[in-house]
Amino acid sequence: MIIYKTFFKVLNKCKFPVILYTVLLLFFAGFNMSSNDKSMDFTAEKPEIMVINHDKEEGLTKNFIEYLKQNTVIKDINNDEESIKDALFYRDVQYIIYIPENFGEKFLDGKNPQIEVKSTSDYLSTLANMIVERYMKVAKNYVGSTSDNEELFSKINETLGKKAEVEVTSKMDTSTISRLTRYFNFSAYSFIAISIYVICTIMLKFNEDKIAKRTAIGSIDYKKINLKLLIANSGFCFAIWGIYFIFARILIGEIAFSEYGLYYALNSLIFVLSTVTLAFLVSKFVKNKNTITAFVNIIGLGSSFLCGVFVPMEFIPDFVLKIAHVLPAYWFVSNNELIGSTEVFAGEFFKNFCINGAVVLGFALVFFIATNIVSKKKVEK
Amino acid sequence: MENIVEVKNLTKEYKKKKAIDDLSFDVYKGEILGFLGPNGSGKSTTINCILALLNFSKGKIKIFGKEMKPNSYDLKKKIGVVFQDVAVFEELTVFENIDYFCGLYIDDKNTRKKYVEDAINLVGLQEFKKYYPKQLSGGLLRRLNIACGISHKPQLIFLDEPTVAVDPQSRNNILDGIKKLRAEGATIVYTTHYMEEVEILCDRVIILDKGKIIASGTNDELKDLANIKERITVETKDLDNNHLNEITQLPEVFEALYEDGILKISYKNEKNNLENVIDYLKSNQIKYRKIYSERPTLNDVFLELTGKELRD
Ligand SMILES: Nc1ncnc2c1ncn2[C@@H]1O[C@H](COP(=O)(O)OP(=O)(O)OP(=O)(O)O)[C@@H](O)[C@H]1O
Ligand SMILES: [Mg+2]
Repeated sequence: MIIYKTFFKVLNKCKFPVILYTVLLLFFAGFNMSSNDKSMDFTAEKPEIMVINHDKEEGLTKNFIEYLKQNTVIKDINNDEESIKDALFYRDVQYIIYIPENFGEKFLDGKNPQIEVKSTSDYLSTLANMIVERYMKVAKNYVGSTSDNEELFSKINETLGKKAEVEVTSKMDTSTISRLTRYFNFSAYSFIAISIYVICTIMLKFNEDKIAKRTAIGSIDYKKINLKLLIANSGFCFAIWGIYFIFARILIGEIAFSEYGLYYALNSLIFVLSTVTLAFLVSKFVKNKNTITAFVNIIGLGSSFLCGVFVPMEFIPDFVLKIAHVLPAYWFVSNNELIGSTEVFAGEFFKNFCINGAVVLGFALVFFIATNIVSKKKVEK
Repeated sequence: MENIVEVKNLTKEYKKKKAIDDLSFDVYKGEILGFLGPNGSGKSTTINCILALLNFSKGKIKIFGKEMKPNSYDLKKKIGVVFQDVAVFEELTVFENIDYFCGLYIDDKNTRKKYVEDAINLVGLQEFKKYYPKQLSGGLLRRLNIACGISHKPQLIFLDEPTVAVDPQSRNNILDGIKKLRAEGATIVYTTHYMEEVEILCDRVIILDKGKIIASGTNDELKDLANIKERITVETKDLDNNHLNEITQLPEVFEALYEDGILKISYKNEKNNLENVIDYLKSNQIKYRKIYSERPTLNDVFLELTGKELRD
């Protein structure tokens, strides 16, 4: 108990820089997330699409196009390869639909005619995709339920109409999920920096040569002391994690408490374990305050640049990402991206999530064992 | 007599430089053993080796009959150490510091509270319980350092120069405290380069120089090693060279020195020497302000054995 008590007394004495540092990083995280996000305000915006219809505009096809007209902005663009490419490139449209010949007829016959699409990869195109898929799902549901096409179309329209409100929420979701991903990706830097800064600041007192020597002649096993100090440090960092999570709720909204949010939270909690143990290991080598900042920068910024914390992973060269495999942050960010791109939390997702998480936990274990080895070396010099 | 510590042929090298060289000695139960030696003679190194804080190239060390290893936690429980450098948390008060270090040995909160109070009383820091180390004077800080090392009531205590740079009041307090610890049954190893302390405090003394034991024994035994047995000091202004020559011829006189109005006469034996000097001064009508006789000091012993002064 005395170890915990002393830890928190020392922490209390260092609280000013600690709080300042923590608030600063939380602020950065919020800032980073919103500054990249120019799409925040267009919840009312509709995707701009182009429809190239090879079918006759009647029957189901007509109904489908009506539906698209209601839910998207249909633009007129010259139907040649070049113009279409340009339109996509300049984001004049985000989504292009090719309706094949006899599409409506085949669909009503219960066959599964494929429509081709071209799209940009921003979230408006995702939204367009969702709009199209929704129609297909609903329509498929009713095909065959009645032989009267007019009745069929009105049933379809009614269902789709009901869902109009949901439409808006799901449209928000895509953008908020990506914001959430970015927020939690950035948290890698925050957690590394805060862990190293705070833990090293406090452990500097415990590891000071004279105090360490005094502790070494005490009758408590150094492993026990290490474990207790680690638990105390973890306690503090988990509290920071909690604040970070609550901040997510404040900055991004309800979604932080959705299934997505909870997976992000779980993933970052595991990651915090690795940053705490890493910081604990690093603290054994820290001799003064200046070295702390150096370690924060080298490890915090280094991990962040190598592992796609600030910049999305797809912009980072392959060989850099290969190197990044030896850093826990890589697996953490990978897991975040995985969560962000998942729609159903089951099966494959679960397997991959666990693998990434296990690797991060493995790092934590290695760091802790290494700390004990270093302590042993120091005790028996 | 029971040996609490046994050291045999201990040798420790720092990068080929021998810091201690083939030391062998025992510490007896209940004694205060003084380790006397000039700076760099190897006192701290010896203690660190005994405590298994340093590994050494040669030798055997036993404490309470067992070999001491870095993980001998049962042995460590019985040992208290006050290191030469003050080691306390700046962030904790006097009470909290002692409580922390006591907590490295004593788990039970209530026992610990009592022990911490005892330690505070022993070193006389009652009024400073809530002070932070920064607010303490050098002497008080040393006392805190001692309290931190002995609060768990160890049976064997090592004190490494606990009175360095300490005001006389704190020094007396510290020396009294150490005597009390011994009275309570502790065995104490005390290192210092102040010979006066050793003379007041220690039952037995080991004199170290350049990592070797050059002499050991009780104060009296050591003083027998010096070839002077008595020193008489006279404060007088009326002495000339003739007088000095005649004094040198007096019985048993080994050496007579006169400097700045102070005459120092060393004797090989103790035989009515004071009387002889007074007689001589009277018959020659030499006036003097003060005259006193001393036994040789450990410094004389050290001088005798090494040809240099204990303190430079
Ligand atoms: N870490 C070290 N590395 C190299 N040499 C050392 C080290 N520690 C001590 N020494 C050397 O070993 C010798 C003995 O040092 P030690 O500190 O044991 O002396 P000491 O008697 O305690 O002196 P002091 O009265 O100054 O405390 C000295 O010559 C010193 O220079
Ligand atoms: Mg020393």
